[in-house]
Amino acid sequence: MNILVFTKRVAATQEEELRITGEGQAVDLSKVPFKVNDWDNYSVEEAVRIVDKSGGSVTAISIGDAESDEVLRRAIAMGAKDGFLVETGDILNDPFTRGELIRSFIDKEKVPFDIILTGVQSEDDQFGAVGGVLAGLMGLPYASMVIGIDAVEKDHVIIRRELEGGLQEKVKVATPCVLSIQSGINEPRYVSIMGIRKASKVERKVFKADGYEKGSPKIELVKWVYPEKKGGATMLDGELADVCGQLLGILKEKGVYQ
Amino acid sequence: MLEQAATRVLTCIQCGKCTGSCPESGRTPFNVRMLVRKKQFQSAVDEALPWYCTSCGACTIRCPRDVKPSEVVIELRAKLVEDGDIPVALQKALENTFVQKNPWGRSRNKRADWAQKLDFEVPHVSETESKRLLFVCCIQAYDPRCMVIPVNVARLFKAGGLEFGILGEQEACCGNEIRRIGEAGLFEELEEENKAAFEEYGVKEIVALSPHCMNALKKEYGDTGIKVVHYTELLAPLVEEGAIKLPGSFGKKVIYHDPCFLGKQNGVFDEPRSILSAVPGLTLLEFSRAREVSLCCEGGGGRMFFEVEATYQRNAEVRVLDAVDKGAEIIATACPFCVMTLEDPATEKGLAVKELSEILTEVL
Repeated sequence: MNILVFTKRVAATQEEELRITGEGQAVDLSKVPFKVNDWDNYSVEEAVRIVDKSGGSVTAISIGDAESDEVLRRAIAMGAKDGFLVETGDILNDPFTRGELIRSFIDKEKVPFDIILTGVQSEDDQFGAVGGVLAGLMGLPYASMVIGIDAVEKDHVIIRRELEGGLQEKVKVATPCVLSIQSGINEPRYVSIMGIRKASKVERKVFKADGYEKGSPKIELVKWVYPEKKGGATMLDGELADVCGQLLGILKEKGVYQ
Repeated sequence: MLEQAATRVLTCIQCGKCTGSCPESGRTPFNVRMLVRKKQFQSAVDEALPWYCTSCGACTIRCPRDVKPSEVVIELRAKLVEDGDIPVALQKALENTFVQKNPWGRSRNKRADWAQKLDFEVPHVSETESKRLLFVCCIQAYDPRCMVIPVNVARLFKAGGLEFGILGEQEACCGNEIRRIGEAGLFEELEEENKAAFEEYGVKEIVALSPHCMNALKKEYGDTGIKVVHYTELLAPLVEEGAIKLPGSFGKKVIYHDPCFLGKQNGVFDEPRSILSAVPGLTLLEFSRAREVSLCCEGGGGRMFFEVEATYQRNAEVRVLDAVDKGAEIIATACPFCVMTLEDPATEKGLAVKELSEILTEVL
């Protein structure tokens, strides 16, 4: 079973107070550290587990700048056999552009695969669309929100999809296929610095994105904006009993408490 | 250092002094003598066991053959780290340290936020004459309970006319706990990054707030040529000589808890006591197990970041009960990890835990 797994280097923005620069053209990421996209970490782990069990090999692919090599080294340290970097000059926000580039790359380089794994979404753009777009462009079966891979057979996989209300949907998907992996599907292993250093000795192939089709973007980034500021909290003053009375009154008025 | 431990393990005579001094032995499944034995025979070790060690260092200090059992534990952990098979909470702490240079994963850009609580500016160390660096490190930079410690120490230094600066967001975790968790590669990266900053800004002296940082900077960063001290070592003579005036009064019975990394591992016993003795009104009490035989609070060696599987009466609770027996009202210590571990059981028993700088600031 040959598995292609996509891994992306993203800005670790959760703890940062981000600033928009100029008139909304960009976000200042100059002091923000970068990391592997969380969903991709689960995808790589899942790919390695499948191969450990069923045989085959994992190829990690990253679309991005030269720095993205670090997430490839990480994937190799986790157990991927190869790492391919499709080096782009521009940031490709448009999922259609990314999808088309990936399709074109796989076609042109004749990269063999049975399953393609992507994360459900990336932490930076959060479109949650590349997996589906790619499957559409390649004419392959697709399952999103994959929370479990129960069986990997010669011509199909049995997977579980996460649905609302605590339900899971068990689906048989013919291979070759594209699966978008949900976080929590497994517990990704720790990748030590020594492991990453060893992985650095494995050659990663670099392909220039210019050599492949990207198509025209379907969407265009107009401007970065801050969310509208909403009204502040209401502070209640007085003795405890008074404050509780006021709070009950507000909750009744808002229809929260009858 | 890890290689040294590997060769020394064969000299172990299984005398059991390590187990006898271990704060986890007999209370948890952890038996350090057994781990050394298994290491000698290259036998398999239950993966849960190495994580009980608190890195207090008592075994290594007392070992008559210089086997360094605590380093054997680090070596066992290192294998688990290499295999990627470690408790999730520790994994998070390591990954956070890799990305944000602190185990809590807080933004590196907010590393100097504590200084906003001061009514004076703290300069970057490069702007100081003395090139004396206050090494704040992670828990004091981010934990709301411990952020008061650098604020207090900065005020005390100012009161004593002691010039100092900080590295701010250029400071990275010291790596003391990271090395003890077994992540030697990450420790090396943190060490290299910090040493490069020390060199770039011509740092001549480092004052560490946490004994854990002091230990790493002093003993595990190699020969940097930089003097490294704990802040109590710098404050003690200033308080004794009256350069820092303490006009207030602290009429409480205070018992001093020796942190392992300050006391038994680095021999700083007298300075904290000298400071507390100089506080007007304060009555200083001593634990039965004080100084070299101080009972570990179990906050070191990565134990700050995760819970072990066994349930047992924690040392912090034992320590608090001892303090109650001695008639103490306050437990004083000079380590942020000790503050964090002792505070919950102390609060339950009606005692307060104060970091030494908190008491000094109250009488300043």
